[in-house]
Order: sequence, then C-alpha cells, then structure tokens
Amino acid sequence: MTVTLETRRTVPEVETRVRRSISERLAPYAYIAPFFLLFAVFGLVPLLFTFYVALFDWNPIGEHVFIGFDNFTRLLGDARFWNAAWNTISIWLLSTVPQLLLALCVAHLLNHARLRLAVFLRMSMLVPYITSVAATAIVFAQMFDRDYGLLNWLLGLFGVEPINFLQSVWGSHLMIAVMVTWRWFGYTTLLYLASLQAIPRSLYEAAAVDGAGSWKQFRHIALPSLRPVIVFTVVTSTIGGLQIFTEPLLVSRAAPLTCGPVRQCQTLTLFLYEQGFGQFQFGYGAAIGVALFVLIVAIATLNYVLSTRIRKERG
Amino acid sequence: MKLRIATPVVLATAVALTLSACGGGGGSGPSQPAGNSKSFEFWSFTGIDQKVSVEDYQKKNPGVQIKLTEVGSSVETAQALTTALAGGKVPDLVLIQGDDLPKFVQQSQNFHDLRPLGADKIKGDYLDWVMSQSTAKGGEIIGIPTDVGGMAVAYRTDLFKEAGLPTDREEVGKLWPTWDAFIETGKKYTAATGKAFVDNAATSVFYQAVNQGPQKYYDPSGNVVYSTSPQVKTAFDLAIKAAQAGITAKQSSFSEGWSAGMAKGQFAVIAAPSWMLGGIRRNAPDTEGKWDVATIPGGAGNWGGSYLAIPKGAANPKAAWDYITKTQSPQAQLEHFAKSGSLPTTPSVYKDPKLTGLKDPFFSDAPTGTIYTNSLLGLKPFFIGPDSSTIGQEFQNAITNVEQGKGDAAKAWDAAVANIKTAIGK
Repeated sequence: MTVTLETRRTVPEVETRVRRSISERLAPYAYIAPFFLLFAVFGLVPLLFTFYVALFDWNPIGEHVFIGFDNFTRLLGDARFWNAAWNTISIWLLSTVPQLLLALCVAHLLNHARLRLAVFLRMSMLVPYITSVAATAIVFAQMFDRDYGLLNWLLGLFGVEPINFLQSVWGSHLMIAVMVTWRWFGYTTLLYLASLQAIPRSLYEAAAVDGAGSWKQFRHIALPSLRPVIVFTVVTSTIGGLQIFTEPLLVSRAAPLTCGPVRQCQTLTLFLYEQGFGQFQFGYGAAIGVALFVLIVAIATLNYVLSTRIRKERG
Repeated sequence: MKLRIATPVVLATAVALTLSACGGGGGSGPSQPAGNSKSFEFWSFTGIDQKVSVEDYQKKNPGVQIKLTEVGSSVETAQALTTALAGGKVPDLVLIQGDDLPKFVQQSQNFHDLRPLGADKIKGDYLDWVMSQSTAKGGEIIGIPTDVGGMAVAYRTDLFKEAGLPTDREEVGKLWPTWDAFIETGKKYTAATGKAFVDNAATSVFYQAVNQGPQKYYDPSGNVVYSTSPQVKTAFDLAIKAAQAGITAKQSSFSEGWSAGMAKGQFAVIAAPSWMLGGIRRNAPDTEGKWDVATIPGGAGNWGGSYLAIPKGAANPKAAWDYITKTQSPQAQLEHFAKSGSLPTTPSVYKDPKLTGLKDPFFSDAPTGTIYTNSLLGLKPFFIGPDSSTIGQEFQNAITNVEQGKGDAAKAWDAAVANIKTAIGK
C-alpha cells in the first residue's frame, strides 16, 4: 500500500516541486518550530541546567561552589538514595502490573455488544482520573488508617487485628499503589476500549461460528490487535510510575517529605524534593534528578527494544 | 501566496514567546512602585490573619498602600521567598515562620540589617531568646518577632476524673513537675482506664523536653554537638521511656488518625502551644468544656512564632520598617493578642490585665494568657543552626519508629545519630 502511494505522488510532481521556492521548503520547519522552541526553553535548557547544577554545592540563596562529581559519589554511597530507588520500583510494579491487567479485563467487558448503559459506564471510568490527586490521597489515607480506617474496620469484622498500613514498608507501598491504580486504570481502560472497538465485529462472529468461546476470542483476536496500545501504556505508565510524587507526599501528614519516620515510602522524586526544597541542597537534588533521568532512559530503552521485537514478531 | 506570509509570522511569534519567557525567568531588578514612597509589598502566609493588622495600619496611616499577598502555608511562603531571593524580584516585607528562619539567618546577606533602621533601640522590648533566633552570626538583626507559641499541656478533665486523677489545673500541674513524673502519671492513667495517656512520644515529649535548656544541637559558637549534648540525650531517653511504657496513642501529630483520636478521646493529654488550642477546637468541637490547660513538665517551652523581615532588594525598606515598628510595639502586640489570641513577644505587657484577664470557655475558662506567657519566661537562648530542623526531625523519626514497634529501642539513639551524619555530613 505504501509503495503505490509513494509512486503516485512523486512521478507527476517532480518538476513543480523543484521550482517551488525555498520558503516553501522551510515552511514545515516553521510549523513545528513553536513546539521545539518551547521545548528548548522549558524542557531542554532546564534539563541541561540540572546537569550543570549537579556539579555544584548549590545553595539557592547563598554560595555556589564547584565540587565536580562529589554529589554523585555521595549519592552512590547514600543508603537513603537506594532505599528511595527500591521504593520507587516496588510501588511502580505494584501499581502498573495490576492496573494494566485490570484495565484489560474491564475494557473487554465494556466492549460487550449487548452492554446496557454503555456510554454511562464507559464515561464513568474517567471519574477517578479527573478527581484531584490531593483529594484522592487524603480519602485513601483515611481509609487505610490504623484506628479509624474503613479497611481495618472491615477486617475487624472478621477478627483480624488492625494493620498499621502506613508505618510498614509493604503496607505503605500497597496503599500508594492502590491510589495510583484507582486513578489511572480508567484512563488505560478507555485506551484499550478504543482499540478493541476498532476490531471488526465480523472477526468475532466468524470465530464464534468456528466454535471459539469468549476466552479464545479474547486470546486470539483482541490481544494481538491490542499489542501496540499495550506497548504504549507500558511506556507511559513506566515513566509516570517512576515519577510518583503527590501520593507519597500526602499520605504521611506527620512526616510528609520522608513519607514516614523510616522513609518507608519515600520515592526518588520525593527524595529529590526533600533534598532540594526541604534542605536547600539544590546541587544534591539535581544529582538525584540526573540519576532518575538515567534510570528512566534505561527502562525506556528496554521498553523500546522489547516493543520493536514484538512488532517484528507481528510483521 | 499565503505560505510566504505565514512563515515569518510563525517564526516571529515563536521568537517573541522565547524572548518573553527569558525575560520572566531572568529576573531584572526590583520593581519600583511608581513614585509613591509610601507603598510597599507584603508577603504573608495563610491562617495568621495579617489582613487585620494591615487594614488597621492603613486606617491609622492614610495614604499608605500595602499590597498584601497570602502566598500559601508558612512553608510555601518560605519556598516562594527562596525563589524570589534567587531570582531577584522580592517583596518589601515578608513574614517568616520560626522553623524556616534559620536557613535565612544563615544567609543574612539577603536581608536588610535592621539595626541601622532602629532595631538596636527596640530589641530590648522583645524576649532575648526570641531575638537571638533572628540575629545572625555577625550580630545583624534580620527579623522582628510578631508572636510566639509558648507551651502548656491540654488535658481532658472528664477522662482524668474517670481515671481518678485530679482535674483542677493547679493540682494537675503539680502532678508533673518533671518529665519522669509525667510518665508516671501516664502509667497510672493507663492502668486505671486501659487507654492511652498522651498522643505520641516524639512531639509531646521529646520536642518539648529538648527545648528546655541552654544548649540544643549546636554550641554557642555554632559547632554541631547533637551527639554529645546531655540535654538532647536526656530528652531522647525520656521519649523512648514514654514510648515503651505503653502510655502513648502512637498518633503522630497532625496525621488523620491524630485528629480523629482527639475527637474520640483516644488520648487525654497533648502538649499544646497557644496556637494548638484553635486546632483542638476545630478537630474536636463536641468536647467543648471538657478540656483544661496546665503547665508543661519542666515549666517552660515554646513551639512556633513568626518574624517580619525586609529582603535586601526591597524597593521601599523605610515604609516596611515603619510598618514593623507601628504594628509590633508592645502595645500593638497586646492589642493583636486580644483580637486574635497570638501571644505577644514583648514581656512588658505580660502582666497587663488585658492579657491576664483573658479566659477560654472551651478550655474550662483557663487563663490562657497567663499560662502561656509564664512558659516563655523560663526559656534560655540557644544557638539554632542551619541543620537544626533536620537534626530534630531525625531524632523524632527514630522515636516514632520505636513507638510504632518497628525499631529497637536500644539501637534507636545510634541509628538516629548515624542518620543525621548521612543527612548533614557531620
């Protein structure tokens, strides 16, 4: 298909194209220029400036002393950094994997041909997404509370001792993961649903005639056509998941910058914020930012490699 | 041709956008209010009601224009001030909360030294230890105190009665002259009722006890001594003792559970500075008349308070200074106390009937003015350094960890000291 398009366009227009002026050739660049200029000002320059600041002992209202790579060597030996990195990865896995699986199932259900109130049900998936994160965090923190939380009250009915979610490592991670999942799974569901609806009904009908059940239809028709959008959601939720900030900041009102007394749910972005804006160590904070950048680039590359492999398998 | 016109337009727009973005971030000099030497810009934070003082001052001084901005919480205001100082576009007057002040005092070159403006003459009006916190190493005074928190213990008379403890505030104060006696009283209460006595160990015990002495985390010349200071170790051990005695509700201050526990009588006692009384009123409105206020173990204490400072780049420092002198004189602070309940920092008015006569019906008519100002008189100045709040936070974290049953009490001190070394590098 692409070949025919190409030939049709090139052959008759060769001469006119040459004659057209330079300004026309530059036009496309002008059209995309606003984005790239804004990106340069608000994206690239701050990024490069972060690398620069990371080489200093930088007090925002005091002295800036060049210290080379000292911030990075300090970072590698800092137990708080590794703790935050581990917390970030743990919360990311706990929130992303169930979220994507859940979204896949719900999208499949919402795609059912004879679903009643389809529009209402589909639109209501977006409600968590448009709710303010702060409100979400406060409500969930109350639900998971040790003494007066809804969850512990329910568990108490079955004779379970109250669980101190916030103060334990796995409990606080679970709590934040639930918040992230709740907030994002509706959005992911709609993405999946959109792809599912692009699949012609006739494929399902043909499969049904051949005797394929609901599960087999899902496995052999829906899942393969969802591959690109699954790759997309994995990439975006990875980037988002590694930058989780608001939820851990708000669940622990007593020690917000560390997410609890032993930094049990402090993520990398929260650690960055604590060092940069709590302690005024902009240089060290910038170094954490650079480390986070490297981590995200590494995981995104891994994603890219995996997704191209999947695409090749398809092709 | 349309395209030929469109290209330059798009480019021009993009360039203009870029330029305006640079102009905004680059930070030119301070903005001059157009020819009016009597107008100035004032940054405050929410919840402290500076509007009342500003309106009052404008009424008495017609022609003065004050542009008051409530930036956000006290922490957000300090962060905005940091950004403003780094960028160069600053207000003429700014309110800084006591906990955020050391970072700014350490970089005093960013602020006007208030001595040449007249702070030398009026500094004797204020409590010496309060003044010492806004005085930089070289003697520069960068802030004038607007209020302090003081310290007392708020307790539930109904719950004390159930436990067979006295309920009169004088007698209750006598139950705990020392922190050891406080813990013993707690054990009696818990034994009699089976309920927790105090909200937590980190804030209600450690944070209070550690402030009651002449030397905290730094020695007078500014060297860190947190790991060898006897006052710090004593306060830490007391808090661990309280945590292990099982008399705490394990509710960290200001958490959701803490607010709920306060309303439900989960604990009978909270260490409460004067501004906390409003919080108790909001969190537990149904407990009106069931609270009272007694003296804190050790007798003295403070938590909170704010300062007014004038940034170096201020366009109109003279107008800002005039505002400070008029609104923060002993008499003005006394009037502000009568209206808002924030404690004056000027001891000369502590015996004034306007202050001693104030009683709070929510707290069984306790004479809060007298109780809180008495707690301020016993305090001694101690050096507060740039890392004081980090050090304090790490100690409190270690105590909370033991209280929650996660940390080993025997290793808690060493763990806290190690964490502080990681955090501040010394």
